Amino acid sequence: MTTYEYYRIVEEVFEKYMGRPTVFVGKKITKWDEVAKVTGKALFTADFLKLYKDVVWVHSVRTKYSHALIKNIDVSEAVNVPGVIRVLTARDIPGVNDVGYVIPDQPLLAERKVRYIGDIVALIVSKDPYSASEAAEKVFVDYEPLPVYIDPEEIVDLMTIEEKAHSLIHDERGSDVVAHVKIRVGDFSKALREASVVVENKYRTPMQEHAYIEPEAALAVPEPDGGITVIASTQCPFDARRAIARVLGLTQNKVRVIAPFIGGGFGGKEDVVNEVGAKAALATYYTGRPAIALHTREESFIGHSKRHPMTAWYRHAAKKTGEIVLVEANILLDTGAYASLGPFVAWRATVHSVGPYKVPNARIDTLAVYTNTVYSGAFRGFGNPQVHFAVERQMDILAEELSMDPVELRLKNILRAGDRTIHGQLLSVGHGVGLEDCVRRVIELSNWYEKRRLYSNQNEPVKRGIGIALMWHGNSIGVEGADYSSVSIIINRDGTITFRTGLTEMGQGSLWGLVLIAAEILGVPPSYFRVEIPDTSSAPDSGPTVASRSTVMGGNATVVAAYKLKKRLSELAGSFLNCDPSDVVIEAPKVYCREDPSKEVMWREVVEEALWLGVPLQEYGFYRATRAEWHEETGTGAPYITYTFGAVVSEVAVDTETGQVWVERAYTAYDIGRVINPIGAEFHAVGGYVQGMGYALMEEVVHSKEGCVYNNNLSTYYIPTIRDAPQIAVAFIESGYRQGPLGAKGLGEPSIVAVAPSIANAVSHATGVQFTEIPLTPHRVFIELEKRKRRL
Amino acid sequence: MAEYRDYVVKLTVNGVTYIVSVKPYERLIDVLRYKLGLTSVKEGCGRGECGACVVILNGKVVPSCLTLAIRTNGAEVQTLEGLAPEGKLHAVQKALIEVHGIQCGFCIPGFAIAIKHLVDNNSNPTDEEIKEALDGYLCRCGSYSMLIEAARLTAKYVSEGRRYFDLRECLGE
Repeated sequence: MTTYEYYRIVEEVFEKYMGRPTVFVGKKITKWDEVAKVTGKALFTADFLKLYKDVVWVHSVRTKYSHALIKNIDVSEAVNVPGVIRVLTARDIPGVNDVGYVIPDQPLLAERKVRYIGDIVALIVSKDPYSASEAAEKVFVDYEPLPVYIDPEEIVDLMTIEEKAHSLIHDERGSDVVAHVKIRVGDFSKALREASVVVENKYRTPMQEHAYIEPEAALAVPEPDGGITVIASTQCPFDARRAIARVLGLTQNKVRVIAPFIGGGFGGKEDVVNEVGAKAALATYYTGRPAIALHTREESFIGHSKRHPMTAWYRHAAKKTGEIVLVEANILLDTGAYASLGPFVAWRATVHSVGPYKVPNARIDTLAVYTNTVYSGAFRGFGNPQVHFAVERQMDILAEELSMDPVELRLKNILRAGDRTIHGQLLSVGHGVGLEDCVRRVIELSNWYEKRRLYSNQNEPVKRGIGIALMWHGNSIGVEGADYSSVSIIINRDGTITFRTGLTEMGQGSLWGLVLIAAEILGVPPSYFRVEIPDTSSAPDSGPTVASRSTVMGGNATVVAAYKLKKRLSELAGSFLNCDPSDVVIEAPKVYCREDPSKEVMWREVVEEALWLGVPLQEYGFYRATRAEWHEETGTGAPYITYTFGAVVSEVAVDTETGQVWVERAYTAYDIGRVINPIGAEFHAVGGYVQGMGYALMEEVVHSKEGCVYNNNLSTYYIPTIRDAPQIAVAFIESGYRQGPLGAKGLGEPSIVAVAPSIANAVSHATGVQFTEIPLTPHRVFIELEKRKRRL
Repeated sequence: MAEYRDYVVKLTVNGVTYIVSVKPYERLIDVLRYKLGLTSVKEGCGRGECGACVVILNGKVVPSCLTLAIRTNGAEVQTLEGLAPEGKLHAVQKALIEVHGIQCGFCIPGFAIAIKHLVDNNSNPTDEEIKEALDGYLCRCGSYSMLIEAARLTAKYVSEGRRYFDLRECLGE
């Protein structure tokens, strides 16, 4: 394998900073975007509308059936509605009619058939947003309805994992199974013989909606050379550019995507932007005018990817001492009408499917299948919250069977430095495997043992419970794709710095983390930096802003760029300070010699001198993760560069008369290697918890049997409010990851993974009922409590 | 669609009086965002469910997406842009920065307006009163605990008579 210079630089910087105090990294410093956001000056995509004239509006006419063949589309009346400029159908697409992310299975505009209630049959381009709804009523489509499937168990048998006979949703593919990912490790029958306890259950998790407060939006603007600029609320400007260029039949250098501030993403603003961006661009292509595609909240609910609902059968076998000997599982993920990121979600779910434990034998089969529901794709956690719900419930049920404390059972089985994962990947000390520290921290913070005892015998109608769940989460994208990122650091003539990357800011604060890294290495305070809005025409391709990769991958690219600049400028300053370059200290506004601080020069003078002498003041940092390894038949290899570990404890109160559950307190501890931006880290620990609590207690997108979404707005789809959010204690363990920037790992996604199982475990502790489905709505909890009463 | 005639509406926004012509179906949010360029007012749902578009209208907090522009003739409106004089920040803005309560920031204009309105009417709110005032405002990034802290801090500043702050002071420069 080629060893690139950037690997060496990242490890050298890691060694230099590990265990040493820092000036900017790890400090709470006001983020670059806070003032703009608090004064209302920050521009989100739709806000740019005020800067353009003669903008046309793009309205999507969606199907009335969720599974049907299209016989004919008649737009002749719609085009004559006053205010309507054009009506576009599949035939008008100049390039390729596809916006699929992983596989090309998703037309931008439906032509031959519709597969879910969000499919678009025509676009109405009009002079204002008002005339379009009238025209939409005048688009006449002849449909031939087909059977509608909303449950993946209608497509595949959970126990045999065989595809059932049905009317194919993707007949062109010949099968409605999109992906099948496996693990085959060890000797199952021998393991079963060794076991003294076997626990098996069926689990279900719901379809969750991202419900970011900013609905999808894209504004396309024509360029004089026939190119198109698209301002879009996207996590993946480069992926959006590729998709839009393909739809329009343009080369990628003719499409420019700008990603301004994003009003929340959580994975939802990945592939849908292919569609929304292409819709706006198509209207601009045909009208030569700026065009805006803006989803209403209802369209957002039915028109973008969701968290895959999971149905899973799990079997755990353990020895009397508590050691796990076998995990078996059949996992069905409902990817809805289109694959979206489903194949990758299925893969990530499988990789993590045994939890953060030493497991000697495993047999896992994960299938992602099509149905006629709204399609599922990326959502913070990416398949991992689903499998963790099952695994961590299994662990509690196993503990009860063994009459062990849930913490003790987990401590017997957790991964520690020197262990191998289920895939055979060695977790060396350099990975920073602080899972045990995380467990011990939350146990201490929550006063676990005493509360566990205290809550075990209660006779009041409101019962309290405490539950724990552990997690692991592979960083970045592993074998899902080319795993690289990049940044540019540009020192300006006045000494200020322009920081440029194609990674996006959606609230997570990781770009500020990159600035802190650059500031730390260069010795130039963050106040000198200006972060530029990601723009595919000025920023280097940085890969997508997904998979908890910004801090790790973007961070490593930043380390490389800052290291090289620092080296060059130290050599330059050393030459005229008459001082060894390794002795040069940059502490902007000053630069001096460590041995003799009287030898001093201003930072700006060094910059000016560099210009005169021809020392480049710009640097491009690139980092590509070491290649992931995955053997498809066995599920072995080294799927991810490393893993983030964590433990979450939740305390709940359950009203046994109504089934209502409240989370009263929560405690989280994550080993993220090193805290780079503590503001962002805390956002994740707290925000991930709140979102995970919604998943555990109240959130579920519900389809009618015809495939319509019942709860397509924020008054019927509940997300946590200020009254639901509990007190959350946040702790971080910093074990240090050798190949991370100053030792850091990702936290965006990991922060949601263990939340729902910790809450479900607490509710089961409070009530004595083993819950196997979420959300734990009052209705579900009440019914289960009633069933138990009848059994007793 | 049927043609509707334009109506003239005179309203005062952030202390400036505007005369705008509106269709009877146009909403206050459309006028503020696209006719007056006040894009701090965010549209999250268009149904009064998320709170991102609230403004202070004649002393009351209202969702501008549920307010028809034609009904605002003669009204006084305040948006986030008008909370503080140029170069200054209102106490609530300083508090939001100080507690680092801003993630994606899309809900922040609504929360800031709601906190400002609460504190104007009650300079010493209890936590329960804060939750009551902010109930119904949605923050999907989950910054609620920081937003409560920001409300407490705003109340403290306002009750000390410190309503406006120099921008530089807020950045710790």
